Amino acid sequence: MRKLFILPFVSILALAAGAQSDTLFNKTMDEIVVTATRTERKLGNVAVPVRIISQQTIRQSGSLRLKDILQEQTGIYITNGFGAGVQMQGLNPDYTLILIDGEPLVGRTAGVLDLNRISAGSVKKIEIVKGPSSSLYGSEAMAGVINIITDRSFRKNAELGIRYGFGDPDKGWASPWSNEAFKSLDLNARMGNTIGKFGWQYSGDALLFDGVSFRPFSTDRIAQPIRRFTNQLQTNYVFNQKSKFSLGIRHTLDHIRQEFAVGNNGNVTNSYGREQNSDLNISPVFLHQFNKNIRSSLRGYFTAYNGSQRLRFREVPDSAYNDEFRQNFYRIENQTDINSERSTLTLGAGYSLDQARSTRYDDLSSKKQNQILYGFVQEEWRPSDKITLIAGFRYDDNKLFAAAFSPKLALRYKASPKLSFNASVGRGFKAPDFRQLYLNFTNNAAGGYSVFGTIDAVKIITQLQQLGQISEVKEDFYKLKTLTPEFSTGANLGANFTIDSKLSGSLNIFRNDVENLIDVRQVATKSTGAQVFSYINVKKAFTQGTELELTWKPFSNLSISSGYQYLNTADKDERRSVKDGKQYTRDANGYSRLLQLKEYIGLPNRSRHMGNLKFTWQQPGLFYATLRFSYRSQWAVADKDGNGIYNEQDEFAKGSLLVNFTVGKELKNGWRLQAGIDNLGNYRDLSYLPNLQGRMIYLGANYRFFRNNKQ
Amino acid sequence: MKQFILSLIAVTTLLTACKKDNVPASTPADPAAYNVSVSGSTVNVRNLPADTIIGISGQGQPFGAGIYSFFNLRTNSWVSNADSNSTNWDLAFSGTTIRVNNATGGPGTGGAFVWVGAFESLTSIPVDSVFRVDNHPVSYAITKGSGKGWYNYDGANNLLTPIPGRVLVIRTANGKYAKLEVLNYYKGGVTPGANATDQVKINEQRYYTFRYTYQPNGTMNF
Repeated sequence: MRKLFILPFVSILALAAGAQSDTLFNKTMDEIVVTATRTERKLGNVAVPVRIISQQTIRQSGSLRLKDILQEQTGIYITNGFGAGVQMQGLNPDYTLILIDGEPLVGRTAGVLDLNRISAGSVKKIEIVKGPSSSLYGSEAMAGVINIITDRSFRKNAELGIRYGFGDPDKGWASPWSNEAFKSLDLNARMGNTIGKFGWQYSGDALLFDGVSFRPFSTDRIAQPIRRFTNQLQTNYVFNQKSKFSLGIRHTLDHIRQEFAVGNNGNVTNSYGREQNSDLNISPVFLHQFNKNIRSSLRGYFTAYNGSQRLRFREVPDSAYNDEFRQNFYRIENQTDINSERSTLTLGAGYSLDQARSTRYDDLSSKKQNQILYGFVQEEWRPSDKITLIAGFRYDDNKLFAAAFSPKLALRYKASPKLSFNASVGRGFKAPDFRQLYLNFTNNAAGGYSVFGTIDAVKIITQLQQLGQISEVKEDFYKLKTLTPEFSTGANLGANFTIDSKLSGSLNIFRNDVENLIDVRQVATKSTGAQVFSYINVKKAFTQGTELELTWKPFSNLSISSGYQYLNTADKDERRSVKDGKQYTRDANGYSRLLQLKEYIGLPNRSRHMGNLKFTWQQPGLFYATLRFSYRSQWAVADKDGNGIYNEQDEFAKGSLLVNFTVGKELKNGWRLQAGIDNLGNYRDLSYLPNLQGRMIYLGANYRFFRNNKQ
Repeated sequence: MKQFILSLIAVTTLLTACKKDNVPASTPADPAAYNVSVSGSTVNVRNLPADTIIGISGQGQPFGAGIYSFFNLRTNSWVSNADSNSTNWDLAFSGTTIRVNNATGGPGTGGAFVWVGAFESLTSIPVDSVFRVDNHPVSYAITKGSGKGWYNYDGANNLLTPIPGRVLVIRTANGKYAKLEVLNYYKGGVTPGANATDQVKINEQRYYTFRYTYQPNGTMNF
């Protein structure tokens, strides 16, 4: 996080001192994690693969947005269509649930939740749970869950920060004042206090970015000029030792100036206008501790996402393109934990209402909605100090599609203080989204092809048929029916190990089998020849891989951490057809030959190898510096040989290596200073990584008031 | 979101482009400008233009002049349009349409079907094979459409690629047999990259590169 501004509560000195007296591994294993079991657990006692990104790590990396932090994590790749999405365990962004303080964000476009929406400013830590977690969280938690936990310590604090960044992708090194350079300014403020029983914490962030051009002064931009504002207020009222009430309110507003040119056959159309997205989250929570063993929470949640885009085409008078998408999500949920010496029983139930309206559906004024009633149970049993066994399931019943049953089993075995093993298996699901159910889109400009969501597809096509507008109904038309959720079965097998006080690490092997994947299929042809599409549950796929992480502290000032993921994916039907000798490719002469199974790549836009390497130098009381490398091997982008599947003969984007560097200093008078360079190598790939903006230099400073206030 | 919008705008652009540009922007490439090389029984033909694109229609669709490139598999040569109503040609190429010399196509006894497999492994045409003929413009011996006959169309990248492992089994205008594999659909036998401009993709398409073996003795063996 390029936000050096927020270092309020944890002093680097304290951390460094702690690290010297303990191994890094043991310290990490003592951190508290809530996302894995929905109860507070030490990381070292959790039976599923979990990673924690601390506030210190976020700050020292200088990251401003959630995207920047996640892209340096092992096994995570940030995709760049429809915003920055997260690809985890080889699954698309649709299949990772993103939570802020345990509550889901809504407003996905084509299944992608844009991580640029989330400022890293108020983040206390990030918990990443890998593997299916629908047994606790329901839909979308198929590849895993990313839970962003904001600061709720309610101590007396106040802090102001500023960061200025600039770059010039063409020249490589920019002058900060140059007209040709892009500029980014981030302003940040935080403050909080506790007065009697009432505590509050505010965090505000404004990011102003003037856009990056391919060429100086060009209107073609890698990134559009944008203003992003985030305001967040957390409040807390402690009634007594047993009861407390908290209310969190978060609001974000993005204002993006759109101006881009599209060329076609020598004709260029310039489009201009604006995109505006807003996000409001309100989460009241009432927590009560009945006695030593029973604790219950009642959580309410409301979130509203509004996205709109208004464009005009400069060459076409009176042209207008308007796109609106509004989603409201309401939820009420109770969770009760019953503890005894050797067991924790967690019971939960809730109701949610999801509503959306869009110009992409039949009518902006018609509200689409779905209601879900759900319940979950989880038993964590600790028969001995060495063994933890978790069994649980969740049942989601809803109006629009088939119900989902999501069980999970997990086992942790602590062989010694230096070695523990985890094994877990669970089911994940993703409910069909409103787009797949309600889309009603006809592109009259492109020959009139249509896409209909499954709710009305048969009705609409039958009507068109009666009007004589359908020339042919495809085989897939007869397969149209109520969509069922996409299901996955995932298994994770892993170990955490400490070699000695300097070297520790973890290993995880995973496999996800996904069935019922929803695919867009042509279901009919109009008499004009235009195609009619809808959605069908058809595809089956798997992703499997290995993750290895190592941390080495050769001496007290230096920490070297590295991560690697090997990934292998396939569409199961495609793989079978290759295996059965039904797929061909071309040799160097362009002549056809049989495709070998080992040449089959699997799903596109996935890298077989991904790795990261991070050097952190800490000179307590003086300065810190981090140098971070992230590498991704080549990935398939287009089916060059025309066989309809991805294999070694196809078109690939080149592997990429990104390097980021940060250096910072904390002064005793309350100032913190940081400087850094993102994308040190000025790596660019306009074809396949169009949003990668090139090298950026930044300088930041922040000032903390009340520094005598002990933390 | 931006990609979604971009695709919409690209389409609108095409629409507006055509309003301005409804007159043909260029003349079709000369169909006689192709190369032939023979190695053993296999003939390689490169760069046979097949009604190259001359403009964009009001519906946003690129179009050619509506002409065919006629080809004689027996003499390995292009045949002039003046000879179209004769048995001097075996196949006619226009865009993705490949016609045979029979029924609605010409006075010959041509026919064809698409066989799945590698070119070399087709050593004899199965005796129970059914040769289809064209019923222009409803259906064709060599089925049209992405994934149905000999090509796949990648709508996301606007690229057309011959499907590997597809052999066009041909009965020629004079009732002999040939097998043919389409190798490429773009100028110079090279498909543009996915990131090439639309202009390149439009200008360089409709150039056939293919190889074939003609069996003059009338048997179905190669």
